[in-house]
Amino acid sequence: MRDSDRKFYRAKIVDDYVRGRLDRRSFLKAASALGLGAGLFGTGMARPRPSFAASGTPTLEPSADVLAWVKEVSKPFAGTTLRLATESTPPSNAINSQLKKYFEEASGMTVEIEVLPLEQVLQKLTLDIASQLGTYDLYYIDQSWAASVSRDVFDPREQMAEKPDLAMPDYNMDDFLPALVDGIAKYEDRWVGVPYDIPIFIMQYRKDIYDKMGFKAPETLEEYYEQAKAITEEMGPNMFGSTGQMKSGHYSLECDWTAWLWGHGGSIFTPDRKFSGNDEAGLAAMEYWDRLKTTMPPGVTGWTWDGQGQSVAQGVAATMMSWGEFFPYFDDPNATKVSGLMEAARCPKPKALRTVSETGFGEIPGVGHQGGSSLAVSRNSKAPDAAWIFMQWATCYDTQVLITALGGGTGPTRESVYDDERIIANRRVGAGTTRHLDVVRETIAKDMGSEPDLPQWAELSNDTIPVRLGKYFAGEYSSAKEAMDDIAQATDKIVSAG
Amino acid sequence: MRVGVLSWDRPWIWLLPLTAMLVAFTIMPLLYNIWLSFHEYHTFSRELRWVGGANWAQLVADARMWEALGITLFYFAVTLTVQVILGMAIALLLDDDEIGFGFLRTLLTLTLVVPPAIAGMMFLLIEDPEFGVLTYVLEQLGLLDKTTPILATASTAIWGVMLVDIWQWTPFMVLIFLAGLRSLPPEPYEAAMLDGASAFTVFRRITLPLMQKVIAVAVLIRGIDIFRMFDYVFVMTSGGPGTSTYTLSLYSWQQTFSFIKWGYGATLSLFTLLIILIVANLFIWVAKVRW
Amino acid sequence: MMVRSKSSRVLRSVVAWGTVLLFAFPLYYWLTVAFKDGKEIFNYPPQVWSFSPTVRNFEEIFGISLGFGFGEQREVLPGGGNWRMAPRLWDSIVIAVLSTGIAVSIATLASYALSRMEFAGRHHFVSWVLSTRMMPPVAVAIPVFFIYKELSLLDTYTGVILIHALMNLPLAVLLMKSFFDDIPHEIDESGMIDGASRFLIFRRIILPMVKGGAAATAVLCFIFSWTEFLFVLTLTQTGLKTVPVVSSTFVTSTGTAWGNMAALGAAAMLPAFLFILLVQKHLVRGLTLGSVKQ
Repeated sequence: MRDSDRKFYRAKIVDDYVRGRLDRRSFLKAASALGLGAGLFGTGMARPRPSFAASGTPTLEPSADVLAWVKEVSKPFAGTTLRLATESTPPSNAINSQLKKYFEEASGMTVEIEVLPLEQVLQKLTLDIASQLGTYDLYYIDQSWAASVSRDVFDPREQMAEKPDLAMPDYNMDDFLPALVDGIAKYEDRWVGVPYDIPIFIMQYRKDIYDKMGFKAPETLEEYYEQAKAITEEMGPNMFGSTGQMKSGHYSLECDWTAWLWGHGGSIFTPDRKFSGNDEAGLAAMEYWDRLKTTMPPGVTGWTWDGQGQSVAQGVAATMMSWGEFFPYFDDPNATKVSGLMEAARCPKPKALRTVSETGFGEIPGVGHQGGSSLAVSRNSKAPDAAWIFMQWATCYDTQVLITALGGGTGPTRESVYDDERIIANRRVGAGTTRHLDVVRETIAKDMGSEPDLPQWAELSNDTIPVRLGKYFAGEYSSAKEAMDDIAQATDKIVSAG
Repeated sequence: MRVGVLSWDRPWIWLLPLTAMLVAFTIMPLLYNIWLSFHEYHTFSRELRWVGGANWAQLVADARMWEALGITLFYFAVTLTVQVILGMAIALLLDDDEIGFGFLRTLLTLTLVVPPAIAGMMFLLIEDPEFGVLTYVLEQLGLLDKTTPILATASTAIWGVMLVDIWQWTPFMVLIFLAGLRSLPPEPYEAAMLDGASAFTVFRRITLPLMQKVIAVAVLIRGIDIFRMFDYVFVMTSGGPGTSTYTLSLYSWQQTFSFIKWGYGATLSLFTLLIILIVANLFIWVAKVRW
Repeated sequence: MMVRSKSSRVLRSVVAWGTVLLFAFPLYYWLTVAFKDGKEIFNYPPQVWSFSPTVRNFEEIFGISLGFGFGEQREVLPGGGNWRMAPRLWDSIVIAVLSTGIAVSIATLASYALSRMEFAGRHHFVSWVLSTRMMPPVAVAIPVFFIYKELSLLDTYTGVILIHALMNLPLAVLLMKSFFDDIPHEIDESGMIDGASRFLIFRRIILPMVKGGAAATAVLCFIFSWTEFLFVLTLTQTGLKTVPVVSSTFVTSTGTAWGNMAALGAAAMLPAFLFILLVQKHLVRGLTLGSVKQ
């Protein structure tokens, strides 16, 4: 057995054992065959604690150094209560359910995390800002809100400089992937917090079906369509070649649109800040999308990312070019029918691509649509220093490794985390796998597309655009041109109104 | 006996707690909303600025608002009518002491304890285009084609949402109508039986007139809530596809919370209130409801 | 009532059972979701009767082990720490019970006066009370948020209880007034002749007579508070949350945790259902809305 195979197998049997698919006797037998020895797990123990579950040997406990720093620096703030409202995303869930307790223990602070769906987080944040209430010490900021809240949060670089005694040693701001800093955290020349999580579009496909059809991961968008079409024709009507998140009036529809738009050399805005989805490239994208839609389950127009993910997870669709965050979920044998059958690849190459200077409002064209968010300390916070300590802890190298390894399987925002042995050890098939992360990393570096930054973007991306796209797919416009012209008119009106 | 203002013999002391609550929590918000409707929240300066009648002018010119009003009225009319008729039918059906009917009446009230937000999620699953039970059944019956998902087809989405409302609130009507039926005096029925009147004649000539006030009040209570319905569309369709299920309350919620246009959101709310007031008072007048 | 043939009685029973079971079906289906693993929830064709039941969803939301061999938890729970659902159920119960108590008490007092005492504008007063229910909740939520901010009532039981009581007052007043209206005025008058005070008559004689009606009113208030969404969402932060709001946290960026959401929904139906059972007989007898008196 090669060393890497051994590692993989070990991780798998531990995983099986923890999940109750393997009884204790068979587990110990298999483990001793690998030279793991019963001693490692303690002969008398029942089951390893969940925090050990995801990987083999490397322990998933916070580093003692980090906790020691937290303890030292938090002394003046013991007893403080910190609040954060966040979307229910893998990093927030990992912190809330597993990791928070270590921080609380070391710091003597209490951290209360309010977990909500995305639009409700925006509502909470807006009320907090408007009332200057300071309920929340930290803000979870979706990239599409960055422009509107940029003045309400501290720039982490300033915090670093102004409070050297509170700065975490080796925090290393330069470790954050530069593309993410650009796409998520930066607004004009300020940092709106630091990149906190990074869901990004990657190509996810059924290896078994692709093998059967003799396909390889698609190189171009056209090839992707041809494959999807062939699969739908060959294996239909209960299997579809692709799928989508195309619920009318929902942000997810806008996300799908941008990927096709950018992939056809289009952009949302021109450099003089006019909507340009109705130009030639924009209409080419619509034409492609219309074709691709015929290879999707008919229900896509009712689905957000939830239905889209389910269609793949339950074996109805063979591919999805969408959020990489779903990949670790697909590998969960309890939840899906495709555990171990999925493969990740970079998105197909765009037909053409505009440069940033050919677009407006800092939009970055790219087929890998990113939906990241940042974490920042609120200016309204009554305990900004304590919040800053928590924020550094929550986004430091060590914590990100734990978040990623503890089953979130989410894309880390720090370069070095991708190379950590604990992350690499988690590349086995199973819930919370990290075997797609190389693709995620490459996508961030090479394919990332990022939405424009303007204060009206929340309205445009949640209403103006997806409502009209929804109308288009419901057949209420006579042509894509008409739909796009309508969006152009409405968008330009909102943008010029300021 | 004292006859001061705060005597138990005068109504004021009895009404004081009620009035205090209502004034604090509805008059103040109402005034605040009126004030707000002449302002707009300015995202850049973080302050409310006086805009005069701009919001009201925008309201009148807003095609989206008129469309939402139309959808709301349509939803309101259909849902309420179905709930009243179906509710009455089921109430008549269950107004008996057959074995097990007590259990059935209890079972029926269960739909009411499901929070509407969760009921919306339930039906989202049931009406899912790929995995939904209802979709499957309709498909098997040949009534539905897979290519026209219920909630994602402009012509059917609103019916998909109405279905939840009807499912959840028809039992409410049944409950009220049943209570009404059970408290009816027996004499007219005995007389009708002697005359050999048909069941339908009895219902039309005796039950309906006697139940008039119960029905009127039930219609009023339910009608107000249907008009303000928010949870179902919010959870199930986000107003889509396109704007085909965009109700007034969803529109004002979105203006207020998603786009932070508090002034316009307040204007929309006031307009909604105005319409409900007009419709409700018309109804009270036509149906001659006396308190 | 009319004498009916046996066959028509059987037919009526069959139709009645069929209708009610049709209404109960979505609830049954939701319950099966609560006992299904993820991959069984989404299946084509949908599995209605046959599936392998699991209590995993309940274990996950309450953070307990029910001892059916699923001792371990997932590393990361979908709802982000949502296994602490028991306190949220408690929040819901406290808020629903107390707000119902307040609403029914205030409404009872007021309705007695509205039923028994003549004063100018009484009809308008009742209409005004009803009209306070017509305000769209969104329009109430923002101003109340700012009022609560000043009074430090945000994120407190008191705050939510007050707003829920308020929301239920119009309905409670209408219902209670109809019950008082059903009681003949002569009863009060004979008491007065004996020299008893208004309040004494109310407390000793009239109040016991509307007990059933008050119970029916309480059920409706309880249900409306139990299921309310927007106020709780806006007026609470991390301190408390009721079931409808907390269930939305199962809608995550990596899909919706349907099983967990259904499990919470099922668990939350139980207390409300028990409450209904307790007052069941008043519920059907009680909601007469003054039908007798025209």
